[in-house]
Amino acid sequence: MAVSAPALREALAAIVGGDCLVSDPALLAALAVDGVTPRWAARPGSVEEVSRLLALASAEGLHVIPRGSGSSLDCGMPPARVDLLLDCGRLSAILEHSPEDMVATVQAGLSLAALGAALGRHRQRFPVDPVGGASRSIGGVLATSATGPLRFRHGGGRDLLLGLRFVQADGTSTWGGSKVVKSVTGYDVPKLLVGSFGTLGVIVEATIRLHAMPPASGAWLLSFASHASAAAFVAGVLDSTLQPERMVVLNGPALKAAARPQARAAVAISVGSSAEAVESQGGDLRRLGAGLGATVSAIPDDFWLELGAVLAGPVRLRLAGEPSKLCFWLAEMEHLAGEASVSVSALGEAGSGAVRAALGRAALDGGWLLRAVASLREGLSAEGGYLVVERAPREVKDEVDVWGPISPDSLEIMKRIKRQFDPSGILSPGRFVGGL
Amino acid sequence: MSVEAGLIRALTGIVGRAGVVATLEGRLTYECDMHTFYKGIPDVVVLPESAEQAAAVVRLCRGAHVPIVPRGSGTGLIGGAMAPQGGVMVSMTRMNRILEVDIANRCATVEPGLINLWLSNATRERGYFFAPDPSSQMVSSIGGNVSTNAGGPHCLKYGITVNHILGLQMVTGAGEVVWVGGKAQDRPGYDLTGVMVGAEGTFGLVTAVMVRLLHLPEDVKTLLASFSTIEDASETVSAIIADGIVPAALEMLDEVMIRAIEEGIHAGYPKGASAVLLIELDGPRAEIEAQAVRIEKICRDHLALELRVAQNDAERALLWKGRKEAAGVIGRITPSWLLQDAVVPRSKLPQVMREMLAISARHRLVFANVFHAGDGNLHPIICYDDRVPGELDRAKQANEELLHACLQLGGSVTGEHGVGLDKAKNLPYQFADADLNFMARLRRVFDPDGIMNPGKLLPDHPACGEGFRPVAPTLPGGTWV
Repeated sequence: MAVSAPALREALAAIVGGDCLVSDPALLAALAVDGVTPRWAARPGSVEEVSRLLALASAEGLHVIPRGSGSSLDCGMPPARVDLLLDCGRLSAILEHSPEDMVATVQAGLSLAALGAALGRHRQRFPVDPVGGASRSIGGVLATSATGPLRFRHGGGRDLLLGLRFVQADGTSTWGGSKVVKSVTGYDVPKLLVGSFGTLGVIVEATIRLHAMPPASGAWLLSFASHASAAAFVAGVLDSTLQPERMVVLNGPALKAAARPQARAAVAISVGSSAEAVESQGGDLRRLGAGLGATVSAIPDDFWLELGAVLAGPVRLRLAGEPSKLCFWLAEMEHLAGEASVSVSALGEAGSGAVRAALGRAALDGGWLLRAVASLREGLSAEGGYLVVERAPREVKDEVDVWGPISPDSLEIMKRIKRQFDPSGILSPGRFVGGL
Repeated sequence: MSVEAGLIRALTGIVGRAGVVATLEGRLTYECDMHTFYKGIPDVVVLPESAEQAAAVVRLCRGAHVPIVPRGSGTGLIGGAMAPQGGVMVSMTRMNRILEVDIANRCATVEPGLINLWLSNATRERGYFFAPDPSSQMVSSIGGNVSTNAGGPHCLKYGITVNHILGLQMVTGAGEVVWVGGKAQDRPGYDLTGVMVGAEGTFGLVTAVMVRLLHLPEDVKTLLASFSTIEDASETVSAIIADGIVPAALEMLDEVMIRAIEEGIHAGYPKGASAVLLIELDGPRAEIEAQAVRIEKICRDHLALELRVAQNDAERALLWKGRKEAAGVIGRITPSWLLQDAVVPRSKLPQVMREMLAISARHRLVFANVFHAGDGNLHPIICYDDRVPGELDRAKQANEELLHACLQLGGSVTGEHGVGLDKAKNLPYQFADADLNFMARLRRVFDPDGIMNPGKLLPDHPACGEGFRPVAPTLPGGTWV
């Protein structure tokens, strides 16, 4: 490192202003990532400031971790060190919203809740709704490729992202994509940044596709006596002309966390459409459920907002195999947990087949978690699936690769991409798959 | 670099004699795609039958520093599947099998040469279809759709090709064979599938594709509305979208196009109308019934002259017939034409249509319009007669002016056709140097030696502009837009 620490502090403060640079040890300790306290945290107020911060970091070899709301910073391998936490919270403006085009360009630090409130005035929404994620930032949601129940109908951030401005490791501000709903001009660079966990650039602006709020909606919880019945219901809906907006599977503990009546498994489903279609599809869904022995109850609109409690806990996993095996993997996980009295509260996305599960503290006893992860990964890998430990105490992360194995062919290309765009390895180094 | 006899022998060793086209008359078949403006004859064409053969071809060419041009059905509109520098063209047409249909997981795995429509034909009985529907879908290949990230009328609701690709196998320009993505979704790691789709053969050869299958909708409703002005039609489009309705398709035809269609194939479009909207809704019956009522009201509020609703499949097919065969009848009104694929924000449609009229008047040229109005994707057909001195130059100038008008309104150079050789020069209008530099470096990750489809997709490539001689620009009859 060419410059002394006081000089670096001065240089950082010169970029963002002294008020927006945190160097107080007590405040920094509260921003620790996996127990590693950053040397500084900066809150840039413009894209230009982000550029200058990264150019400085690049020149001085500072390790940088971008931060949105901070909710997913514990996802990834522990950093060796954090020199600069780059907090995008001040970049929270809606730069453009064209209601008639159903397109908005927003800064990365804007929260989903703030965006939702602004769009709601036009009866529009950005239908990306990670559970418990209202306070999450758009940049963070895209960088972590977070999804929620509405993905069933509208796709994920990947599908709704039209254009993206990001700042490369060397400080170069870069744009990819377009501001219109359909474009194939050049490579689809935005897709490369989605889910890249801050390792290729810092997302600063996004142009997103919006959808109209449906004129009417209805939602139901169908409770089943077995996973097999829930699975049959999900398969029945998927193999039909019904078009729900959301369809998620909850296991017993998840129902308890969501303050719903107990059942072995349940499917929460919603339809958003014209009033006639909501009634007609709702009727079809209830009949399909009843035929499989379901108890059906209507659920209120705020049900979806309260699902965050389902995934609270010291350990969180995300896994997926073949989409049709969602309930199988849910049951498999419960079986392993049951043997060791570990609680598993799980939410599965029908359609994509992705399961998220919060495990109780007992998972950390006697190495159970490591064995369970290894066992599930072995089974999942046979069908091309994976398991990610999204959240876990530091001591667990020291023992397990939270991302799991990546196919060597793909990893080789990913490594070349990382080397190409972050040759000195300053952006979240070592935190992503395969040590990227 | 030209291909030597030794290389052709080695290629024959890989793909067999039946998989090599080396005669001049044989190679001439491959000199252009459907954008016949750009011609370039490959030195040899090979037709592999497996990913292993394709990989061996890439490795051989890489060792010999010979460019490779991938080709599907050759129905592209961008000068993509042609060989400006000669070299080896790899045609994927012999790899056209459906490898797996997995209804439980709503996906299928196919070889790249499979014709788009064949997949939907194979899955329709089971209630499923492959959503991307470029107008060329009865002849274009899925590998080609993946490479150009093809669109189509119904991508307004369903999204373009990339939204339907779960994974793919590629032989990269570095000679690696890699499978990315798959049935398990949201895998950790960079979204390689996402960036490989739409790479136009510049990253490598697509050798297998895993696609999403969608359940067929319960019902389909097709409406046709005619208007006395193109402004009324354009504002109707905006109003429908602003009402929160996303039709499966929302297409517009202008007066010139309507006349050509009526003279050519008698689709029964209203005479005297200056614009026709073709609106298709699909989904649960109750939903589209309610939407149709709202759309009818919006059309009447915007002074629709006439509103027709297809009552059965035959009537629906007739309403679509004119749209689908539009480009085929344009030859009735002009010997030659240029085609645009620019996009504007939907709300700017009335403005860009006015701008287009002004450009057309300024250059004394006729424009015919048939396009995907719902997502602002224009397809103006700029008519000219190349026998009239100076008319081609005026057409090219008008084309450029229109593109700039679209970009000034916040649009994009290409909505669904792709960049190819044709539009590479236009990318700097939309992207800054830093953005293009990022793309050039990304290309290098997959193709370190620059052998994959050189000269395409990005401007200022050392090879761009070399080795080919533009001939009179024209699109052949039967082109799909």
